[in-house]
Amino acid sequence: MPDVTKTDRFQSLCTQIRHFDQLPAEVVKNLAACAYLQRYVAGQVIYLEGEPAEAVYLLQRGWVKATRMSRSGREQAMLFLQAGEVFGDVAVFLQSPYPGTVTALEAVEVWVLPGDDFLKLVVRHASLALAVIRRLSERVLHYIRLVEDLSLRSVEQRLANTLLQHAEVQAGQLVVPRRHWATFDEMAVRLGTVRDVLSRALKTLETEGYLKVEKHSIVLLDPAGLQARGEV
Amino acid sequence: MTQENPTSFDQQLRQTVLEHLATCQPDGLEDLHVGVMNGIVHLAGQAQTVENRQRAASLVEQIPGVRGVVNRIDAPGAPSPGRTIHLDIHASQENQGKT
Repeated sequence: MPDVTKTDRFQSLCTQIRHFDQLPAEVVKNLAACAYLQRYVAGQVIYLEGEPAEAVYLLQRGWVKATRMSRSGREQAMLFLQAGEVFGDVAVFLQSPYPGTVTALEAVEVWVLPGDDFLKLVVRHASLALAVIRRLSERVLHYIRLVEDLSLRSVEQRLANTLLQHAEVQAGQLVVPRRHWATFDEMAVRLGTVRDVLSRALKTLETEGYLKVEKHSIVLLDPAGLQARGEV
Repeated sequence: MTQENPTSFDQQLRQTVLEHLATCQPDGLEDLHVGVMNGIVHLAGQAQTVENRQRAASLVEQIPGVRGVVNRIDAPGAPSPGRTIHLDIHASQENQGKT
């Protein structure tokens, strides 16, 4: 007898995942049947780079970070992912080891879909294959924009754009909340720079009156000006 | 467009690391995970003590072909792995032997 709670919870998550929200109920039910829920604490490794890719992961709760060590031994953050994201899929499709290490940044719940089962379902259901293709296409677009960002924009411009992307309205102000794991180091890695350079860029934008750095948030005082500052 | 495929060297090195750890059976380790990329060995899992954790990394460092170790094994009081690691440990050891 199917676990109704488990299936409901999995279906509910699928409605939050872009393109998976269009999947027929039967496909979601088949995915749920082979998925199991796994919990991780902050700092715990979900998988390592260079490990055989045995599963695809659907993030139910919490944030995770994907990092990769360069050949020269320097860690670079690749992605920060939150609930409703899928990861581990690229390596499963390529049947290669995972290209990066994924670590829980806080208490995390993930649905684990064994790679073989997932591949069989993709082959069986065109709607799932299409959803996967759409997600991968969006990721290609993301990386095209990232390449543009890294090659054309200064750290201050990248910082301005990133802050605007992550801002939310709180009590009538545009605010970028800082999660407890979002240290300056993490932010620097995300922008492809180092802590000192990020600190100087933040100070510059603060001095110019675009923002105010507070203990648990960054208040955007002049979003329009910041947008102009982020343009090439 | 190039496709990233693991080198057979990394796969072989991972197998060697797993076999070496299975032979040495270091104490106080659970749920050990091993990944290898570009000759850099990544370790994760749980250790009872910092010493158990360090012992696992030391065993791996001895293996020829290992350029460096990223030790993410969790243990009470264990430090977070650094953002940069010491590489080419065998070359360093050989150089130390010459001086």
